[in-house]
Amino acid sequence: MHEWSLALSLVQTLDRWALERGVQIRRVVLSVPSPAQLDVSILTEAFDSLKRESRLEGARLEVKVRSPRYRCRACGYEFGQEEVDPQIRRLVGQYGEEYPLHLIPELLPTFVRCPRCGSHDIEAELSIKVEEVETA
Amino acid sequence: MRPLLELAREKLRRRKVIAVMSGKGGVGKSVVAALLALARPGSVLVDLDLEGMSAPKLFGVAGRLHEVGKEGIEPLEAGGVKLFSLGGIVGDRYVVLPGYGQAGAVEALLAFAKIDSDIVVVDMPPGMGEELLALGRAADYLPVVVTTPSKASYKVVRQLVDYLAEAGKRPAALVLNMAYLDCGGSRVYPFGRGDEARRLGEAVGAPVYEVPVDPSLEDYVGRIHEYRGPVADAVRKVAERL
Ligand SMILES: [Zn+2]
Repeated sequence: MHEWSLALSLVQTLDRWALERGVQIRRVVLSVPSPAQLDVSILTEAFDSLKRESRLEGARLEVKVRSPRYRCRACGYEFGQEEVDPQIRRLVGQYGEEYPLHLIPELLPTFVRCPRCGSHDIEAELSIKVEEVETA
Repeated sequence: MRPLLELAREKLRRRKVIAVMSGKGGVGKSVVAALLALARPGSVLVDLDLEGMSAPKLFGVAGRLHEVGKEGIEPLEAGGVKLFSLGGIVGDRYVVLPGYGQAGAVEALLAFAKIDSDIVVVDMPPGMGEELLALGRAADYLPVVVTTPSKASYKVVRQLVDYLAEAGKRPAALVLNMAYLDCGGSRVYPFGRGDEARRLGEAVGAPVYEVPVDPSLEDYVGRIHEYRGPVADAVRKVAERL
């Protein structure tokens, strides 16, 4: 359900941005890290319903789910999402659908440990970002 | 563009954001923040102390998780205060977070919280770290600086006040917590009179408030909203002038 509040934040933010510049928005590329496990279809549906009567009315949302690369700052080990997925699956089992990384992907180091040395001191780009906006 | 930072800004715009902060831990900052929020019924209390998460403990909601709906994170309610805390996201699990993640967590919590009050009290982590910078990006806050009268506290609080001055801010209140004890009709100052803090307040034009020690407060951890003692009375006086 949190997809709706994310979509709302996106529409409100971009609408204001477009208003300040006197433009209409045609296309938005949103990049989300895969640990957030956002439901892209709900996010798109929410976006399409919330964009009405805004400067995003004719806009298409593209969601890029990116699979971050991780680096352990304790031992230097570099690894990919597949080595983290089992830990994230356990988390979903513990917390249910609205599990912490779904809401705040930046919390990943709180829940995930380096697969090699067990440290929480993990680095990755985990923020939700607007990567591209196409205007008219 | 970071939509969550933008939304956090929009959420806090035109609201009175009272940031309760201290140079160091253990000065009773969270109690002051909780009582400030309680003194202004209907206000929102945001716990940004990601490692401590004292606010849920004070209100007896530690371990309870926030409901999340279409409109975002629903508050935990206790005693007329709407509480948002990272604790309500992670439960009673410890939080260990590299600095780079702290700003994102602060922004997300503020952006998704269903804030509908004109007064937002923020319980800041002790010290001067990423959360303070993140709040500064998101809101034009009113600093309430909490300290004790001890010499060790004074040093740290002066640094915090210096930082605030450089950031163009002046404390809206300097709270001398655990300042005195009422003892059979006479007032005892167990940690000194706090003259240095008082002079600091005068120098920067910040009003200084004394808040007493009340040993019975300990019994209200978990139900701070039921506490009606001298500490609450003293903090209410601060709240009335903010
Ligand atoms: Zn490692």
